Amino acid sequence: MRQQDVGTIAKPDLREWVERLLAEAEVIAPTPAHGGDVLFATIRSADEVLWDFENPLAPPKPLVLPQTEPLVRIRRRNGRLALEPVDDARPRVLLNARSCDVKGMAFLRQMMAAEPADEAWLRRADRLTLVSLACNDPCRQGFCVCCDAGPSLREGYDLQLTDLGDRLLAEAASERGRRTLAAAGRALRPAREQDLDRRAELEGEARRRFGRETCHFGSAMRRLSAGRVEPELWEQASDWCQQCGACSYLCPVCYCFSVADRREDGGFLRCRLWDSCQLSAFTLEASGHNPRHQPAERIKRRLFHKVSAQYYRRDGSVGCVGCGRCVRACLGTTDLPALVAAVREGTWNG
Amino acid sequence: MADLFLPRLAEIAEVREETCDTRTFRLRLLDGNGFAFRPGQFLELSVFGHGEAPFCLAGSPTRNGGIETTVRRVGQLTDALHALRVGDEVGLRGPFGNGFDVEAARSRDLLFVGGGIGLPPLRGLIWNVLDERERFGEVTVLYGARTPADLVYKEELAAWAARSDVRVEVTVDRGDRDWQGHVGVVPTLFEKVPLRPATTLAYVCGPPVMIGFVVKDLLKRGFPEEAIISTLERMMQCGVGKCNHCAIGHRYVCRDGPVFNYRQMRELCE
Amino acid sequence: MAEKPGVPHHSDGAANGRAALTTCPFCSCGCGLYIHGEAGVLAGVTPSEHHPVSQGRLCARGWAAHEAPAWGERLTEPLLRRDGVLRPVGWEEALAHAAEGLRRAAPAVGVLGSARATNEECYLLARIGRQALGTANLDSAHRSSYQAQLDGLALVGGPGAAQGTLDDLEASEVILLVEGDLTSTHPRVGLSILRALRRGARLVTVGSSRTQFARLAAEHVPVVPGREREAFLGLVAAALESRERARTEALPGEAELRAGLAGRTPLEPERRVAAWFADAPRASLVLGPTNADADEAFESARVLATLLAVSGHLRRPGSAVLLLPARGNLRGACELGLTPDRLPGARGPFDEEALGRLRTVWGREPTPATGLDAEATVQLASALLVFAEDLPGALPSPGAVRAALERARCLVVLDAFLTPTARLAHVVLPVAAFGETDGTVTSFEGRVQRVRRLVAPPRSARPGWRVLADLLERLGAATSFRSADDVLAEVAGAVPAYADAAQADGSGWGAALRLPRDTGIALGPLEAPSPPVAGPVLAWDGALDWGSDPLVAFSPTLRRDHLSRRKLHPRGVVGLSLGMAQQLGVRAGDPVRLTSSSGETTLPAGPRGDLEPDVLLVPYAFREAAAVVMGGAAAREVRLARG
Repeated sequence: MRQQDVGTIAKPDLREWVERLLAEAEVIAPTPAHGGDVLFATIRSADEVLWDFENPLAPPKPLVLPQTEPLVRIRRRNGRLALEPVDDARPRVLLNARSCDVKGMAFLRQMMAAEPADEAWLRRADRLTLVSLACNDPCRQGFCVCCDAGPSLREGYDLQLTDLGDRLLAEAASERGRRTLAAAGRALRPAREQDLDRRAELEGEARRRFGRETCHFGSAMRRLSAGRVEPELWEQASDWCQQCGACSYLCPVCYCFSVADRREDGGFLRCRLWDSCQLSAFTLEASGHNPRHQPAERIKRRLFHKVSAQYYRRDGSVGCVGCGRCVRACLGTTDLPALVAAVREGTWNG
Repeated sequence: MADLFLPRLAEIAEVREETCDTRTFRLRLLDGNGFAFRPGQFLELSVFGHGEAPFCLAGSPTRNGGIETTVRRVGQLTDALHALRVGDEVGLRGPFGNGFDVEAARSRDLLFVGGGIGLPPLRGLIWNVLDERERFGEVTVLYGARTPADLVYKEELAAWAARSDVRVEVTVDRGDRDWQGHVGVVPTLFEKVPLRPATTLAYVCGPPVMIGFVVKDLLKRGFPEEAIISTLERMMQCGVGKCNHCAIGHRYVCRDGPVFNYRQMRELCE
Repeated sequence: MAEKPGVPHHSDGAANGRAALTTCPFCSCGCGLYIHGEAGVLAGVTPSEHHPVSQGRLCARGWAAHEAPAWGERLTEPLLRRDGVLRPVGWEEALAHAAEGLRRAAPAVGVLGSARATNEECYLLARIGRQALGTANLDSAHRSSYQAQLDGLALVGGPGAAQGTLDDLEASEVILLVEGDLTSTHPRVGLSILRALRRGARLVTVGSSRTQFARLAAEHVPVVPGREREAFLGLVAAALESRERARTEALPGEAELRAGLAGRTPLEPERRVAAWFADAPRASLVLGPTNADADEAFESARVLATLLAVSGHLRRPGSAVLLLPARGNLRGACELGLTPDRLPGARGPFDEEALGRLRTVWGREPTPATGLDAEATVQLASALLVFAEDLPGALPSPGAVRAALERARCLVVLDAFLTPTARLAHVVLPVAAFGETDGTVTSFEGRVQRVRRLVAPPRSARPGWRVLADLLERLGAATSFRSADDVLAEVAGAVPAYADAAQADGSGWGAALRLPRDTGIALGPLEAPSPPVAGPVLAWDGALDWGSDPLVAFSPTLRRDHLSRRKLHPRGVVGLSLGMAQQLGVRAGDPVRLTSSSGETTLPAGPRGDLEPDVLLVPYAFREAAAVVMGGAAAREVRLARG
């Protein structure tokens, strides 16, 4: 690693560094919300940043794929329609995203960059600086090690921070990352040998603490892709699902959407909206026919998109970063690990 | 580079009433730029304020007819579209989809089988073929609708029937007082025309039930699965394989389709 | 009552990048969620993970709670009907007209509220009715059957009979779920049942269709609509047998109860279920919203409470009785007086204590009488004040309600959305929608929680409590409310159960209602159910039509299902079992003629694999199509034939 690619910042100096970042860009970080909740939010001061926290229930996905995203403004000028693409030009810094979420952002980028590329989406994502905070401890429901999405990453971030105890180690992977790091000014110290050793040690310990891997995709993928899953499995599983869509909304790598026109003063605003393949009307055709009318068909669809070999070959990774959010947010018992386990075993056990 | 979701503005140049609930719209792009498309592709049409929906392109690039699409009133957006008049503005994105492989049809005998609102996707290809007639073998068009009033492209059907280089047979499920032609469902037309499974490509579009019967019949007559071609219906939104509405397995109807041959359709699964 | 600064929350209208914690407005579970805004409108939601109800979850409706306020057709200016057309006017003029119209018609007026109203708004509506206008014609849609169920439970178990929490439900060994398609009505309750099942609990479902939960049940008791009580009585008889064998001390009234059921021999499944109840340390009842008429709902609830009492579970800690109101803040509406037969905070009709409290707080004698319910009020009152409700969409007789609204001499509507009811109004007062106003709502568990304002209501629309307070002033009552909290403070004085709610600061997860004093269990002889009928019974499917709620109808994500159903069945549909369809020789869409003593109608058939053989169900959304045959009943014997 080059000198300017890696350094350390002592914890007392973090505040000033963040204040400097705030002066240049909008900074989004995990912040305390109500009663122990943590939300990614735009901070107004460095004091709002959490450095020791459970990964927020909601991923930072809305920063690149908002729940309601204006796309095109439709107006009437001199009797004719005028269309104005909405461009989000704000430079932003995402601070303290976890490895799983950073990997998730990279996956989304890959989806949107696929031919034909969504250039507007990429422009906005390009203005977002990703500063990740590697995990030294497995989180409650996470299994990132099964998805090559943590506890720390080798790429995908602009800057990766690791908590060494009294200081943070910072590794830059891009020019933007280097500049972000440089904003720490004199607080930025060169990384010592023992800092780098400690970082490797922490990663090793974190990996070991995951213990037994918690989500075995391999055999599930084989069965799914060969069509060797009995329909009864999906039917039984769907009785334990309540069709809420949370698994899609909170998943860092889910990106199903719909587009609709909203009336506003002076015309319309065409927006992209989060959608979920778990909702009945997702595949409803104008004729009234619905190829996935049964909840069982929709659960099967979800798992195919996330865990099949066909998609794995297309995307280069499984459709999961092991963040555990679907486990935290499922309104039933049909989170991804449970479904994968069921497919592996061949039966659904509630 | 235009944004993926930014429609191009177009105005309605012509409206033709096909049936009581179906109209053909001819659109003219306002930016003056071209619109290169293949028959079988579709566009995403915007009626601003009501949204956007996919409609098949019903014209042929061999004609100067511009961008044509035939739309049946089935809901909120199509209602709004039907309320528009010549000169009104809409938005369009596209063309999307794989379209028919016209090259592969050269020198082959071609059988077109359409039912009801299934003729529009075929019309573009039929015109394309008729406009370059010498490049193709025998051309047969079989078309049917529930009643005579439900037949689309009535004048064009007559014009095609009047030609000596194409065989046209039209049927209705139920005739009316003035109907002189064949009565019966579309598969009954197979008795009237010689079919050559070895050399023919069959293009079939229509209600799912009709397609089911027609395909079964063609297979029984020895048509290879790859020679039976249709268009798949699915809810499509973005048109570019990103929103996931039209995904079947890892295939996307908007990109890998909507034109598929029967063998490909059987392999679509998840 | 200041906000704790920990919540990154401000409501300066821009609200970019910040969030406000609020309570979901849809069913009545009271899930906690954050709403996010962008450029002055709601743009998204995030569930609250530490909230005791939501625990990080939301149902499909909750996930789209931000949509309707931003996407819906909003009322933004006060409107006055002149020459047949609604025209924008200023607030002063609109309020003056509204007050005048209501005052002139008083007391032949009606005040109709809504499950979308906050507690503060419900209370002010009750004050407007009983204090200012001298009427007792106050009601909310879906209230009468809910209230009847509550009263039925209370007759046996006292005013605190319906109590317990979702946690109790989750930890129960036996659960009795009555008429609950929970996944569409109260999914959060469904989650507790799923968790209980995973822990090995036994679920018993009672219903006329085999829902998702019926499939998961250890025992499903199929019933014909209107005949549920027969099944419940069987369970009581079986439970009495168990109890006798166990030689437990008799409860007050038990002898009379036994005598009344003497001739009844329980069936095997009933004995099995009764044994489960008797053996379970914790057994809970979930009573879903019913479209049964009030009397039937009352009697059924009474029998169910008796069953719990006899099996030792009524008011036992850990054994919950969860009564689920159809929607939103219906519990708050009832407790705060939006009902024709009791005052705010009253435990029943003629509650002297409640009368006394209100006399003090209002400085005047409130109208104590019992008034008309919503449907009667709509027909008979000459002036109506309607708050956030589309009456034809919610009430059982849409056609009659619509006709009555068109006839009304003065219809004053307060709403955020342009509903069909608002279109018929003489005066329209635009109020804030979800996410645009402060206040409290009461969940079915009795948790009083805050709803918070993140963005301003559009243009001239105002918070509902404020408009109601202004109206109250113009109708002669002096008020000094400067905030929703001020109203809540007065509520606390008038309704003791809400005292803690007013004290709670923003740091907790709401406050529990203060439970009434125990009055002990009182059993008694149970009403015999109506004699069984041979042959098919037609009933409504469900107790409400989500598609007519603007929060659903105006949400792009939520309305797709409802719109498509209406499109698929433009003339309605009658669900019938596959066997029945085969017997009649009908397929989907074929006409079926239904004849009853009230009339006849023809509906397209909708064969379903989940219905009991003699059950015919018309979705509540299509009730107008079957109104003639039903003749005002909730379940009707019919003859059917191919149409």
